[in-house]
Amino acid sequence: MDDDGILLSVKNLSTHFFTEDGIAKAVQDVSFSIKKSKTFALVGESGCGKSVTALSIMRLVPEPPGKIVAGKIIFEGRDLSVLSEKQMRSVRGNKIAMIFQEPMTSLNPVYTVGNQIVEAIKLHQKKSTSQAWADAVGMLRKVGIADPERRINEYPHQLSGGMRQRVMLAMAVSCEPALLIADEPTTALDVTIQAQILDLLDELQKQNGMSILLITHDLGIVAERADSVAVMYASRIVEVADSQSLFAEPLHPYTQGLLKSLPRLGFSGRRLQTISGNVPEPLRFPAGCKFHPRCPVGCNDKRCQTVEPKLRNVKGGRYVACWYAKEYEEK
Amino acid sequence: MNEQDVKHNKELPKGRSLWGDGLRRLRKHKLAMVSLGIIAVYLLLTGFIYIAELFDCQFELIKWDAKVGSEYEPPGAENVFGTDFLGRSVLRKTLYGAKVSITVAFWASVISLVIGVPLGAIAGYFRGVIDEIIVWLYTTLSSIPYILLILAFALVLKGKTINLEWAGLGTIELAGITTVYLAIGLTSWVGICRLIRGEVVKHKERDYILAAKSYGCSNSRIIFKHLIPNVFHLVIISFSLRFVSFIQAEVILSFLGLGEKNRPSWGAMIDAARLDLPKGYWWEMTAATAAIFFISLALNIFGDALRDALDPKLRVQ
Repeated sequence: MDDDGILLSVKNLSTHFFTEDGIAKAVQDVSFSIKKSKTFALVGESGCGKSVTALSIMRLVPEPPGKIVAGKIIFEGRDLSVLSEKQMRSVRGNKIAMIFQEPMTSLNPVYTVGNQIVEAIKLHQKKSTSQAWADAVGMLRKVGIADPERRINEYPHQLSGGMRQRVMLAMAVSCEPALLIADEPTTALDVTIQAQILDLLDELQKQNGMSILLITHDLGIVAERADSVAVMYASRIVEVADSQSLFAEPLHPYTQGLLKSLPRLGFSGRRLQTISGNVPEPLRFPAGCKFHPRCPVGCNDKRCQTVEPKLRNVKGGRYVACWYAKEYEEK
Repeated sequence: MNEQDVKHNKELPKGRSLWGDGLRRLRKHKLAMVSLGIIAVYLLLTGFIYIAELFDCQFELIKWDAKVGSEYEPPGAENVFGTDFLGRSVLRKTLYGAKVSITVAFWASVISLVIGVPLGAIAGYFRGVIDEIIVWLYTTLSSIPYILLILAFALVLKGKTINLEWAGLGTIELAGITTVYLAIGLTSWVGICRLIRGEVVKHKERDYILAAKSYGCSNSRIIFKHLIPNVFHLVIISFSLRFVSFIQAEVILSFLGLGEKNRPSWGAMIDAARLDLPKGYWWEMTAATAAIFFISLALNIFGDALRDALDPKLRVQ
C-alpha cells in the first residue's frame, strides 16, 4: 500500500478558536503526511496557522478557547485526536517531541539544565536517577555542548541562546522520538548559530532515523533541508510538493509571489517584487479563495471570489489549491 | 566559535543559582542582615522556651509567674522593666510572650500558605469553572470585615475538639492559642491566594510551561514542579510580611479576650496594662509594645530586602 513508510498523516484537520469576537478559524481542512526519516516543512507567514497545526498534532492547543473541530491525526496507526489525555502524555516527549522558537524562554528558569533533561528522561523511561544523569550528560555531548559535566549543573540564564536551543534539542531527542516538531527552531538565533542548529538537526535525524516537521517562514532553510514542503496561507494548505520541484516550478500564485520576493544572487540593484496587500485576519477571511484579493491571476475571477478551491492532485505527487492550476499545468 | 571559547577559558565564573544569587545580594544589604539577626534572636528565644519547658528546666528567666518584688515597681536596677500588679517581672513576661506570639504567627502563616498557595495555583492554572469557584470563595471571605471574621471563627472554634484518633494523634482541644492561630490561618489565606493566582496566570502562558507539556508533564506536575517554584519567592516574602500582621492579629484577639488566658502574651500584656496606664504605670505597656515593634520592623525590612534580592527583574545578569 501507499501508506508504507508514512509516520504521520494529518487528515482534514480543522482547529478553531472560539473568541469573544467570533470564531477564528486558525486551521482549516489541513491534510498532509510525513514519511519516516524525512523532513517535512510547513511554510507560511506569521499567523497562517503553522504553529496551531503543530500544537494540534501534540494536542496542546489551549482549550478553551481553542478546539480541534474536525480531522484525524494518524500517528503510527493510532488516531491521536481521540486519545485520552493520559494516553497523549505518554506520546508527548516519548514518541513526538517538540522544540520551540524561543530558546530563551523555553527552559524553566529555576531548574538546572540537567534537572530538566533528567525529568524528560524519567517521565518516559524506567531508569535510575544516576543512569538518567549519565544519559543527560551523554545527550548534552551529543548536541555539541562542550564540557557537559559542568554545563549540566548550570541554569538556563547562564547559557547563550544557541546553547539553550541545543539543550532543548537534547531534551527533545532524549527519548528518541519518532517525530520531532521544530517550530521555527532558528528564528530567534544568529545566522551562524542557525546553520549549526540545522546541521545538528540533520545529524540527529541520521542517527535516530526520526522524522522532522520543520515549521518555518524561511524559504532558504526549506530549500536546503526539507524533503517535501507544504505552503500554508490563511489557515489552509495551498500547495504541497517535494522541495525541489516547488522551487523549480511553483504552481500556486502565492508560492510564486513568495519566491519572487526573495533576493537572489546577481540581481543586485533591482527592486524585489512584493505581494500586494496584507494577510487577512483570521476573523475576517475573504469569501472564496482566501488569496484572491492579492492574487495577480484570479483577483477578478468570479469563481475565485466565491468558491474556495480544494487541494487537488495536479501532477504526480504535487497538490495545489487553485482554480488556475490546470492552466499552469498545460503551459 | 562559542563552544571553543568555553573550552579554552578556564576562568569562567562559578555557576550561580537563583537562590544563591539572591542570598549573595542579601548579604551585602547591612540593614537586612541586622534585621535577620533580630529575627533570629526572637526565634531562638522561642525555641529556648519550648525546649526548657519540654525538659522542665528551671531557668530563672522563664519563670514568668514568680513574684520578684512589690507591686508596680518602676523599672530599675533590680527589675529592668519593673513589675506588674502581682509583683511579677515584666521582663520575664515579655520574653515569655515571644513564645505565644511567634507560635501563633508561625502556625497561622503555615496554615494560610498551605491553603492559599495550592488554591491560587490551581485557580490560575485551570481557569474556567474551578477558577470561578475559588475566586468566589475568596472574594466572599474578603468581603467580610477581617476582625469580625476572625472573631467569628475564634468563637466557633473555641472549646471544640478535633478528633485525630483515626490518625493516631489523639484529640486536640481547641483552646487558647490553638484557636487563635487556626482562626487567623483559616481567614487570612485570601491575600496569598490572590497573589499566587495572578502570578500563575502570567507564568502559565510562558514557553517553558508549553515545553514542559510537550515532553509529557501532567497538570499536577506542572503546577507543583514548574509553576509553584517559579512563584515561590512571593511565598517567602509574603510569609515574612504576613508574620508581622499575624503577631498583631494575636495581640488584637488577646486584647479582645479570645487569646491565651493563663500565660502571658504581648496582646494579653497590653490588655492588662491598658487599665494601668492612666495610673501612670507605663512600663508593662512599653515593654510589650517594644517587643512587637522590633520584630515587626525587622521582618518588614527583611521582607523588603528579600523581595529585592529575589525579584528576577531587578537581577543584574
